[in-house]
Amino acid sequence: MLPSLSTVLLAATLLLFAGGPRTVSEPPSAAPNAQAPEAASSILNSPFSTRVVAYAIDAKLNTTSHSIDATETLVYKNLTGQPQQAFPFHLYMNAFQPQSTLMTEVRMSGARGVGADSGWNEKNHGSITVTKLEVEGAGDLTDKMQFIQPDDHNTNDRTVFQVTLPKPVAPGASVEFHMTFHDQLPEVLYRTGYKRDFYMIGQWFPKVGVWWKNAWNCHQFHADSEFFADFGTFDVNLTVPQTEILGAGGDLISSANNSDGTKSAKFHSEDVHDFSWTASPDYTIVEDTWTGSAGPVKLHVLMSPGHMKSAPRYAQALKGTLAWYDKNIGPYPYDRVTVVDPPHGAFNAGGMEYPTLITAGTTWYMPTGVLAPEDVVNHEFGHQYWYGMVATNEFEDAWLDEGINSYVEAKSMAALYGENASIINFPFATASEAQLLRIEYISMPDTDPITRFSWNFISDNAYGGVTYGKTGTVLLTLEKVVGEDTMLAALHEYFLRYRFKHPTGEDFLKTIEDVSHQDLKWYFDQAVYGTNILDYDIWEAHSDRLKWWEKEISRKKTTDEIYRTYVIVHRKGDFIFPVDVVVKFEDGTTAAEHWDGRDRWVRYTYDRKTKVASAQIDPGNKVRLDRNFFNNSYIVQEDNRATHKLENMWVFASEWISQFLAWVS
Amino acid sequence: MPSAVRPKTFISGAGLVWRWQRILWWIFIVNLVLAHFAIRGLVDRVSPALAHSSASERLVNGYDLTAVMELAVQPDSPLETPGPVVFHYSVVFAVFMIFSTGGTLATYVFDTKPSTTAFFEACGHHFWRFVRLLGYMALAFIPMGILIAICSAIHHSIDDKSNSPYPAAYFSGASSLLILLLLMVLRLWFDMAQVIAVADDETRMHRALRRAASLLKHNFGSLFWLYLRISLLAWIFCGLGLYLWMYQLSPWSITTAFLLTQLMLIFWIATRLWQRASEALWYRQYQAVMVPEPAYPRSPAPAPVPYSTAMN
Repeated sequence: MLPSLSTVLLAATLLLFAGGPRTVSEPPSAAPNAQAPEAASSILNSPFSTRVVAYAIDAKLNTTSHSIDATETLVYKNLTGQPQQAFPFHLYMNAFQPQSTLMTEVRMSGARGVGADSGWNEKNHGSITVTKLEVEGAGDLTDKMQFIQPDDHNTNDRTVFQVTLPKPVAPGASVEFHMTFHDQLPEVLYRTGYKRDFYMIGQWFPKVGVWWKNAWNCHQFHADSEFFADFGTFDVNLTVPQTEILGAGGDLISSANNSDGTKSAKFHSEDVHDFSWTASPDYTIVEDTWTGSAGPVKLHVLMSPGHMKSAPRYAQALKGTLAWYDKNIGPYPYDRVTVVDPPHGAFNAGGMEYPTLITAGTTWYMPTGVLAPEDVVNHEFGHQYWYGMVATNEFEDAWLDEGINSYVEAKSMAALYGENASIINFPFATASEAQLLRIEYISMPDTDPITRFSWNFISDNAYGGVTYGKTGTVLLTLEKVVGEDTMLAALHEYFLRYRFKHPTGEDFLKTIEDVSHQDLKWYFDQAVYGTNILDYDIWEAHSDRLKWWEKEISRKKTTDEIYRTYVIVHRKGDFIFPVDVVVKFEDGTTAAEHWDGRDRWVRYTYDRKTKVASAQIDPGNKVRLDRNFFNNSYIVQEDNRATHKLENMWVFASEWISQFLAWVS
Repeated sequence: MPSAVRPKTFISGAGLVWRWQRILWWIFIVNLVLAHFAIRGLVDRVSPALAHSSASERLVNGYDLTAVMELAVQPDSPLETPGPVVFHYSVVFAVFMIFSTGGTLATYVFDTKPSTTAFFEACGHHFWRFVRLLGYMALAFIPMGILIAICSAIHHSIDDKSNSPYPAAYFSGASSLLILLLLMVLRLWFDMAQVIAVADDETRMHRALRRAASLLKHNFGSLFWLYLRISLLAWIFCGLGLYLWMYQLSPWSITTAFLLTQLMLIFWIATRLWQRASEALWYRQYQAVMVPEPAYPRSPAPAPVPYSTAMN
């Protein structure tokens, strides 16, 4: 769709119709940008994607019962190359029931802010009921709907259904489904639902599976999985009370008040694979504009009460991230992006990505030294590329969206907010995004390979640690092998090759090899497909008099003394990685070594008129996959400053605990 | 309480602490030594990992939180949680404070230089009384606990229902302040009971508490203002110290940081003793004012005796 003057005018018109006490506009989005320069024209020749689906949904929100009644028409174009008779559909909203696979997994090991062994709260009940299903030319097939459980055979899970048509749809032909469905929304849980009068509506309509790798790919909704869908168009008509302020992942086409106190707003979106929306009478909309290589992008930030102090932080982070992506990865082709700030108590709706709409998260007291609002916007916007446009299978290859996005997040946050303080930045304490990723990884380093299906990890912690932390760290370490610029060039190439497609892990790895002109199988086998731990340490570094049998007192001149220095580098883990070693001597001279790391250890020997001062593996700490940086070096001269610093803090804390106990006793 | 004695109490209390500052130093040293023992094991474990590693620079040239996390998540982590050990040593310190309070209050009440023996005799003399008082305090904490639970429930209810986070935050701030003030009143009440126990050699703690409650009831303004003023000074000083530590000191100023944090602690202990001394002084002056002059001629004053004897 073209970005149009009419769109702008419609948005302006909305000012007249938007209910509630504030004068705001409802943010349309997801239109290709008409003002894109020639450089970006290659992706602006509409359509961007191969449009497989066309959804038309007419939905009415009931704010009393927190439910949605809707009709849906789906035109599915059979581009599978073979006749198709059985079609699977996601019914994600049915996961919010105690016996669903998702809740069973949450109960087992927790996920997304919900602790394991947490109790069931009836407020969190959600459901989606398809009351009628008709297929054009085949009549009413409601009775033919059948719940299936392709992943775990949990017959209580009703998040996927399948319908078999009376006759197959020929290759190249289209089939039209008509459905009537009812959503009962949960109190916000797992990204979706309501909280007081706030609504975040995601994964709310029957969504057809994806024909991928020559089979239907339509997984159940799991605790640790996200989504996968085909590109297409969305025409959505939302009817809500007039007091509601709407935000959606689509262009606002029209809006009109109805006589019953509601209003209907029509949205259109294309070359996206999902449609989400939000409503609240309490939003304050902050608008801004950023111009990149594909033209201007309108930024809409929907702020919840009490959070306005974070609005400039969101906007600044969004603009900085847009600029970073535009420069390093590729142009952002849509003309709009909406940031939804969930209100307090609705944190579970935050930190989520949908095409052209992301949800953030902050608090009324967020200190400026905690860059959480910036980080969440940076991360979720990154998903516009790694999920939104490069639409990988989040069920099976979560590392391709979350992991790559985490890597880019570490790079862009460092560029925007500083290398060592990109997430915590106080004068008295700092933390960087890259290091936090590494901590995530080393807390669960060897339970699961990166490529494991997202719901098959040993635990929720392992899913997070490996998918986000390890993948990000693997890619940061890869910079050491191919170079930082090559890594960014590879990502840029990967984006260009696979935007608006469904690439696989192999596609990604092959792109890196293509761009770097290196065979990286040795690395990918260990880092991506394996679980070996990378850990090198300095086993020993010491100097001894070469003529040790001579008494020291008999030496003529001290300066003539020759010392033999031994440095042993040890590979503690099974991960083999070539490393650099730098040995420093007391006279300031150094010796640089490069070890392929294949053997279990290597000894370096030096005869010099000076003693060893230190030995250091990987001096720049570029091999971030190394589990323990503290054993990567040995400095002969003891330095207890760090110990004393920690000791001071611990003594102080201990003293105050004592004081408190004494006060209450 | 005659107003004439009020202003003196605040300043004179500080004078008492200054005059008998040996108490302050001993409490500080015991606190420091116990804290040192509490974290000794932790330091011994972490030192080998840091002392010869260039990675420890991340803690010297600033304070990289991820460096501490990295130590914590290692399979053979040197950073085992010191919580239980610290708690045990804190309990030892709390017991020491209960023990030493008898001697401390006797020093302040009688304002005479005690011998070491006399001091510890007073400590021992009052120890079990104060242990019993601790039992009463535990009972007094029950309604406080209920109040805290009620406030927490109300906070959650407001937070859940209100579209703005501020009402719940304001309520939380106000209720926390209220609870803090009530805890201070509770502390003041038990402080006064301890003063009465020492000054009047009161053996029955329930009676000491009753008398303290009566005193507090009739002199709440002067007593609480006395206590609060000193608390405010303590908080301001410690807040300033924390600010200097976190925002002004360079990351390399390890010795200065140690001195600053210990100075904060000394001041904190001093202000607590200041409260004790002021309460003792207040009670002494209160007794002097409230005891009527005898109608008959006074007999000559007896020769001074050590207060340890007087308390027997």
